[in-house]
Amino acid sequence: MSILCLGVNYKTAPVEIRERLAFSDHEMETRLGEIRQLASVEESVVLSTCNRVEVYAATENHGQAFTELADYLVAHFRIERPEDIEFYRLEDEGAARHLFSVASGLDSMVLGETEIFGQVKKAYHLAHTARATARRLNKLFQQSFRIGKLVRTGTQIQQGSTSVGSVAVDLAEKIFGQLKGRKVMVIGAGEMSRQTAQSLLSRGASSIIVSNRSFDKAEELARELNGSAVRFDDWEGVLSKVDIIISSTAAPHAIIEPAMIENAMPHRGGRSLLLIDIAVPRDIDPGVNEIDNVYLYDIDSLEKVAAEARVEREKQIAVCERLIARHLEDKGIEALAPDRQPPESAREKTHDLTEGGASEPVPRS
Amino acid sequence: MTMDKLLLALSTLCFLGGFIYVVMALRKRQPRQTTWLNFAVVAAGFVFQCLFLHSRGQLHGRCPVTSGAEILIFLSWSIVLFYFLVGRAFRLSLLGMFTEPIVFVFQAIALAMLIVGDAGPQPVDSVDPWHEFHISVALLSFGAFALAGVAGIMYLVQDRQLKKHHLGALFYQLPPIRYLLQAIIRLLGVGLALLTVAIISALFQESEPDPKHYSLAIAVWLGYAALLGWHFSGKATPKRVAIGAVIVFVFPIALLAAL
Repeated sequence: MSILCLGVNYKTAPVEIRERLAFSDHEMETRLGEIRQLASVEESVVLSTCNRVEVYAATENHGQAFTELADYLVAHFRIERPEDIEFYRLEDEGAARHLFSVASGLDSMVLGETEIFGQVKKAYHLAHTARATARRLNKLFQQSFRIGKLVRTGTQIQQGSTSVGSVAVDLAEKIFGQLKGRKVMVIGAGEMSRQTAQSLLSRGASSIIVSNRSFDKAEELARELNGSAVRFDDWEGVLSKVDIIISSTAAPHAIIEPAMIENAMPHRGGRSLLLIDIAVPRDIDPGVNEIDNVYLYDIDSLEKVAAEARVEREKQIAVCERLIARHLEDKGIEALAPDRQPPESAREKTHDLTEGGASEPVPRS
Repeated sequence: MTMDKLLLALSTLCFLGGFIYVVMALRKRQPRQTTWLNFAVVAAGFVFQCLFLHSRGQLHGRCPVTSGAEILIFLSWSIVLFYFLVGRAFRLSLLGMFTEPIVFVFQAIALAMLIVGDAGPQPVDSVDPWHEFHISVALLSFGAFALAGVAGIMYLVQDRQLKKHHLGALFYQLPPIRYLLQAIIRLLGVGLALLTVAIISALFQESEPDPKHYSLAIAVWLGYAALLGWHFSGKATPKRVAIGAVIVFVFPIALLAAL
C-alpha cells in the first residue's frame, strides 16, 4: 500500500482550469464516496481551495489510481479538452513531502500564509467524517499538521507582512503595542482606506472617524465601520485625538502639512502618531516624517516594507525545508512505515477501526 | 585561580556566550528559539554573580564593595536584577541581548583588575550598617539607570528603523516603542527613588559622607530628576527622553570612576 497525490495548483494551471475543477464543501461527501468507488483507490482526501485542487489517495496500484482519478475528474467536471490540463502526479515520499510543504504554507501563492493550514485540516476533517480515510491517510495528515505547526513556530516564515494593508496594521502594533483603545481617522472614503481601517478595527482599534469632501460618503463609510463622520473642513480639529491617520483623497496636492502636525503634537500627551498615506498624488507632505514621535508611510514605503518581508520569507524556505528534512530523518514518513503485526487480542479492534476509517481522532484546530 | 575569581569568570562567560548566541540566532533568523535559552544563560550568569558576591562578602565580613572591581560587579548584578524585574514584566526579551555586552564588559574589566591586583580581605573593626546600606542602595539605583539607558538604546534603534522605513530582522524582535518608553520611565522612577533613599541614608553614617562623592551623587539625582520632570511636563518627546536616559548615565559612571 502506498500514497499518491494528483492535482493542479496556481503554478501549473490558470484560474480558468482551477475553477472548473473546484469541489464545493457541501458536495464533498458525495464526491469522496464516488472516488472511493474507483477500483484502485482505498482512501482519499480532496483539498480544494482557490489556488489548488489536489486528491490524496492510498492505493495498491499507483499507475491505475492516477489514471482512474484523472479520468474521474475529467468526467465529473465535464472537461472537454483534457489535454489542456497537466496534473502533477506524486508518489509516496514525493506526495508526503508535497503535503507537508502545502500545510506549512511553503507552496502557497503568499508564502507562509496561514489560511492553507486550516484548509488542509478542513479537507481532512471532511474526508474523515465521510469515512474516506483510514490508517495511511490518517497518519499522513496527522503528521502534516505536526510539521505545519513546527514550521510556523520554529521559523520566521510568517514574519512580516506581505501586503500593503497588513503592513499598516503591523506598523501600528509596533508603535502602540495593543491597538485596543486606539482612535483611527480616515480621510477620503476610498476602498483601500476602508480595508485598512477595517483591518485596524479587527485588531482592536476602538473608534473610527471618517472625513471626506462629500459628507454623505463620509457618513456612509462611518456607518459601515461603526464610527463617526466629520466634515472635511473640520478634520484638523480632531488631529490631537487620533492615533492613526489613513489618507487617500484625490486631492492634487498635500492636504496635511508639517505645521499642522507640529501644532497638534503638544496637545497629544506624548502619544505617537502614525500616518498612512495611500493616495497618489500624496496627501501628506513628506516633511511630516521629520517630526519627533510621528511616523509617516506612503504607498511606496509600505510596498517597500512588504517587499522586504517577501524577500525575508523567501530566505526562510531553505530553513523550513531543513526543518522538515530533520523531522523526517527522526520520524520518517509515518504513513509509509510498514504495517506492524498487532497482537492477537488487538487485531479485531484494529480491523474494525480500519474498516470504519476512524483509526485516529481529528485534531483540534 | 581562586574560587571567587572562577565564579566571576564563569558568570562573565555566561554573559558573553548568551550575547554571541542571540546575535547568531538573529543572523540565522531563528530568534524564537533563543528566548528561553538566553533567559537561562542570563539566569546562570546571575547565580554565579550571587555566589561571587557571597564569597567576597564572607571574605571581607561586610558588603563586597571595597574596590573598583567589586563595585563594577555589584553594579552588573543590579543591572541583571532589574532586567529580571522589568524586562520580563514588559516582555522585553531582547533587553537581555542588549544588557549582556554591558555586563560582560563591566565584569571582564573587574576580572582583569582582580587578577592583576586583588587587595584580598578588607575587614573593618566595626561595620557601619548605614554606610553599607547607602552604598548598596546607590549601586542598585545605578543598575536601574543603566538598564534605562539600555532600553533607551533599544528605543532609538526602533525609532530609527520606523523613520527610515527599513525594518530589518531586529525590528520584528524589538518590543513596541510605547512599551520601551514605559520601561524607561519606570526604571528612571525606581532608580531615582532608590538614589533618594541612598542619599538620605548617607546622612546617618557614623562618619561624615565624603563631600566630593556626596555632591556627585546629588548631581546624579538632579540629572535624573530633571529628565523625569522634563518628561512629565509634556515638553520632551519620547525620543529625547530616550536620548536623555542614555546620556545622563555618564553621571553615575563619572561618580563610580571618582570612587
